[in-house]
Amino acid sequence: MDPDAVAKAFVEHYYTTFDSNRAGLANLYQESSMLTFEGQNTQGCQSIVAKLTSLPFQQCQHAITTVDCQPSGPAGGMIVFVSGNLQLTGEQHALKFSQMFHLMPTPQGSFYVLNDIFRLNYA
Amino acid sequence: MDPNSVAKAFVEHYYSTFDTNRAGLANLYQDGSMLTFEGEQFLGAQNIAGKLLSLPFPQCQHFISTVDCQPSGPAGGMLVFVSGNLKLPGEEHPLKFSQMFHLMPTPQGSFYVQNDIFRLNYA
Repeated sequence: MDPDAVAKAFVEHYYTTFDSNRAGLANLYQESSMLTFEGQNTQGCQSIVAKLTSLPFQQCQHAITTVDCQPSGPAGGMIVFVSGNLQLTGEQHALKFSQMFHLMPTPQGSFYVLNDIFRLNYA
Repeated sequence: MDPNSVAKAFVEHYYSTFDTNRAGLANLYQDGSMLTFEGEQFLGAQNIAGKLLSLPFPQCQHFISTVDCQPSGPAGGMLVFVSGNLKLPGEEHPLKFSQMFHLMPTPQGSFYVQNDIFRLNYA
């Protein structure tokens, strides 16, 4: 499958899940997965999902502006670089963010997130 | 060597080279390296250096705000996620940017850039 198409499909799936069923993100991480969220490091699917479901907002909506992707090496991994806006309920202005995913293939022909780094882009 | 120190050292070296001797960046890429610069893709050290040297400003200064890093897998690679400001001479306001590097180890104990993705963060 075309890498750009894989990246786009992953990004749509990731943020839709985040915005409508945040606990469902657990399926996208494994024991070895790493998340750095605003400088804070977390490792492993359970801890990562706990971090994401404990963020101080109940609802949010991601609006994606750019998606760039590149193959990461012989292991079949893919790097996906996203920028966009994050609208929190009740906030007048959306937050701008950048996020990087390193996806690795699963034996079933899908992908999981090995590396995840998220940063807000302050004005 | 501690990954965070490696990432910091690389970032300092990369941006001071960019700002004082842009042609010197060629040493940091190899034939298999990839750059996506504002959505445009380049493959190989020559093409990448060609793109960076042809950017429409003879001088610039990068100011780094955040550096995050994570190991990228068993091959010893490292992901480095940077955000900062790019000041161009004559421009009153700096441009905000995010950039992602995937570094791979060289036999000599150094690192080269396997993947490089750059995006400006517009207000």
